[in-house]
Amino acid sequence: MKKGFSIYISIALVSLVLGIMLSTQFKIVKKGGVVTAQRAEELATQLKQLQSEKEALLKQISELEAKINAYEDSASKNSVITQTLKSEVEKYKELAGLTDLQGPGVIVTVNDSKQPVPPGQDPNLFLVHDEDLLRIVNELRAAGAEAISLNDQRLIATSEIRCVGPTVVVNSVRFAAPYVIKAIGDPDTLEAALKLKGGVVDSLATWGIEVNIKKSDKIVIKKYDGVLKFRYAKPLVEGEKK
Amino acid sequence: MAYIIALSLLLGLIIGFVLPINIPFSYAPYLSVAILAALDSVFGGIRASFEEKFDNLIFITGFFGNIILAGGLAYIGDVLGVPIYLAAVFVFGSRLFSNFAYIRRYLIDRMRRR
Repeated sequence: MKKGFSIYISIALVSLVLGIMLSTQFKIVKKGGVVTAQRAEELATQLKQLQSEKEALLKQISELEAKINAYEDSASKNSVITQTLKSEVEKYKELAGLTDLQGPGVIVTVNDSKQPVPPGQDPNLFLVHDEDLLRIVNELRAAGAEAISLNDQRLIATSEIRCVGPTVVVNSVRFAAPYVIKAIGDPDTLEAALKLKGGVVDSLATWGIEVNIKKSDKIVIKKYDGVLKFRYAKPLVEGEKK
Repeated sequence: MAYIIALSLLLGLIIGFVLPINIPFSYAPYLSVAILAALDSVFGGIRASFEEKFDNLIFITGFFGNIILAGGLAYIGDVLGVPIYLAAVFVFGSRLFSNFAYIRRYLIDRMRRR
């Protein structure tokens, strides 16, 4: 009898421990710690839906822009004043990066290093970072590039180039390597500026980061397709008291 | 026997839900492997009691030993980058099913003999 009793105690103890473990695990899972396949699928469909929505909205934007253009065209036919105003607007749009541009220039392709990382070396050094891209863009600007795009995102006054995890964000759009920088300007000057001894390409080559420069007579750079609107900045009128 | 298991399991569940036992999220995989080991031990115990081979000491040491070994192996596997927990899931999972099959057969046998 005594032996039977101790058996029951041990079974009860074991079941108790098992129950505590089960409920603890259940609590962890319920907290959403573990991402289940179902949840991931749900999120994926959500993402897909939002992406198609975004596509539709982008299409709408381009349609509306075409409409505006048509209005401007018809208005400019009416009088000389509106015609000059329109040409003025076109000029500022070009400068602001709101029109597609074409011209001679260079296409710079930057890719992560394919060299094996030697043991003890920081593998980060062999990847393309925002700083590298910024240096290249900066060098292109210094060499007189008139329009620059990164992976078809036009770089305008408010564009950012920033590392987010393993990707780079430009105009709030994420990109992974390889990065294609297009610049319109004098192709020879642009290439020479990048290939300066001790310059950008030279220093990146130390880590095996591939920088491929291709000169071209005709490069098309897309316009900036985001929304340009100042929420805080207001123009300062000359002579106005603060 | 079945009542004891059910009752203490329920008690354990209640204790676990009421008490604020919290395990850091990074240890959750080890706990799940340990649970599998514990479940296997309990099923093994039930089977042994049906076969009248139940040994208290073996049962208790098997229970805690399996839990510690499964959790520990999963941890070591994580450190080494080898998914050892898969072995634990596989072994304990298959044993769970075979134990359950024995129990089922035993119960059906007993019912037929009546």
